Amino acid sequence: METVIEGKRLKKTFKISKREKGLFGHLANLFLPKYIHKKAVDDISFTIKKGDAVGFIGANGAGKSTTIKMLSGILSPTEGSVTALGLSPDKDRIEYVAKIGAIFGQKSQLSWDLPIIDSFDLLQKIYRIPDQKYQENLAMFTKILDMKSFIEQPVRQLSLGQRMRADIAAALLHSPELVFFDEPTIGLDVVAKEKIREFIRYMNKELGVTIIFTTHDMQDIEKTCERLIIIDQGKKIYDGTVAGIKTHFGSERKLVVKFEQDYDISEVAKTPSIKIISKKDRSKEFLFKNEDIEVKSLIQYLFENYQVSDLTISEPDIEEIVRDIYDKGI
Amino acid sequence: MDTFALFIHYSLITIKSRFQYKVDAIFRSLAVFLRESASIIIIYFMLLKFENINGWNIDELLFLFSFIFFTYGLLILFFTGFRDFENMVNKGSLDRFLLRPRGLVFQIISSNADWFAAIGHGCLGLVLFIYSAGQINVDWNTTLVLYCIVSVISGVLIQGALFLFIASLSFTLIKVTNIRNILYWNTRKFAGYPLSIFHGSIQFLLIYIVPFAFVNYFPAQFILRKADLIDFPIAYIYIAPCVGFVLYALSYCYWRYSLRFYKSTGN
Ligand SMILES: Nc1ncnc2c1ncn2[C@@H]1O[C@H](COP(=O)(O)OP(=O)(O)O)[C@@H](O)[C@H]1O
Ligand SMILES: [Mg+2]
Repeated sequence: METVIEGKRLKKTFKISKREKGLFGHLANLFLPKYIHKKAVDDISFTIKKGDAVGFIGANGAGKSTTIKMLSGILSPTEGSVTALGLSPDKDRIEYVAKIGAIFGQKSQLSWDLPIIDSFDLLQKIYRIPDQKYQENLAMFTKILDMKSFIEQPVRQLSLGQRMRADIAAALLHSPELVFFDEPTIGLDVVAKEKIREFIRYMNKELGVTIIFTTHDMQDIEKTCERLIIIDQGKKIYDGTVAGIKTHFGSERKLVVKFEQDYDISEVAKTPSIKIISKKDRSKEFLFKNEDIEVKSLIQYLFENYQVSDLTISEPDIEEIVRDIYDKGI
Repeated sequence: MDTFALFIHYSLITIKSRFQYKVDAIFRSLAVFLRESASIIIIYFMLLKFENINGWNIDELLFLFSFIFFTYGLLILFFTGFRDFENMVNKGSLDRFLLRPRGLVFQIISSNADWFAAIGHGCLGLVLFIYSAGQINVDWNTTLVLYCIVSVISGVLIQGALFLFIASLSFTLIKVTNIRNILYWNTRKFAGYPLSIFHGSIQFLLIYIVPFAFVNYFPAQFILRKADLIDFPIAYIYIAPCVGFVLYALSYCYWRYSLRFYKSTGN
């Protein structure tokens, strides 16, 4: 398969001025401004092939948006290089951005006051989209993204989910072959999230569009792509299949049990694959792997031998998985 | 051609959205016109007290003023985006423009063209120009007309270059509002009057640092040839129509250079 993006040793450092308070601080700011250098992306390399759907996942501030901005030509890397669609995103900006689409969940790319359809018409002119193709795409996205009811309204009157769909359509009207999504599901409710995921999957599988997206929601990744890149504090700490990470880390379950009294539960921990991670009076937390222990029999065992007043099971969230990988290495 | 059509399209939808937002959009031009006229009338009565200022009578002074207003009308049509640049950067609009396959300066210009205010300022400038030129009895010929047109364009570009330069500074400095106030707005206050009335340091400022003298004084002198021109190199009235083009080219280079320091906005 043909390579679409090649990122080599990408680094991005932000120089942030550090302001000091007080009179002396003001003087110091004026004559000896102090800067801190924040490494937002710290030596990341990867290759993305045509037709891939790749998810970047990481906690807040991990460097996801910065990476997307470098890949889409908004920011120039401090060090390293990007080649995408055979071009340099920042140096060949105009030629490059004509072939890509980018959607930012936290910031609409549409004019606040304009009816959506007006923004779309403007985009047709900006991208020089031939009439016929424009009408086809517009009809298709209006239908799939269910935008008919609000296409005449300005963005400021839309719900977050509607705005997101409009933003997505806007970024795709010119039929880009490569599309970036930066946290497209942020702040959405479950139903709206599901719609977006379904659409991303459709674009990738049916329209053959190469997709890169970022999220901090593991579910987004599971439902839309096979490949996953985890970044933490600007570094790439995992690059592989979603299945791979699931078998490694995702199968851990946490069981929190509240007993009627403060039992000595060392008996339970005798099973080698169960770890007790905290004991606080009557509340105990156990960690075990899905494939080692059958949840049903564990709960049954607890109920038979102890008096249980409350019990919850949770999957570790992505932040925990990421921490885990970061601490232990892959 | 395609670019021009896009500029018009941008303008039309901005005007449309203005109308949706506020019904009284049309009165904005009128309001600007009246507000600025009021300031002119005050100055007019003040100047009436003097027989003349350094040999300039009231009509000649109005002629001098008219360049400032007319060029400002065109300036805000094309350069409002750079005048209010930090706002735009903070709103994240620059990211959006960077993602679209058109020139960045073109997009900033087109999406901020302020037709309403521009018409207000421009009409005032034009009325002043026509009235005062009529009173002065300017003997128009092809050369003069051409000279005036090119000088006006140059005058717009001089101020545009300044806005573009200050906008470029905002990539490396944090706040440029104060710099803009000092360099542009304060200096502009001197520019309505004949250059010769000022202290040498202010003359230097208006000729070499923030060259407003080439926006109105030297072009007006090309036509009026008042006696106080003797204080300055005569060549300046001939180079006035070029100054804007040169400064704009320099400013544009600096803009291109500064763009690499653009940081976007963090969340
Ligand atoms: N424009 C900017 N100026 C200064 N610091 C920034 C800027 N953008 C991002 N950062 C910093 O870089 C780090 C990574 O940010 P970002 O890429 O937005 O993370 P993510 O998208 O993964 O949440 C954060 O610490 C953030 O504060
Ligand atoms: Mg982000």
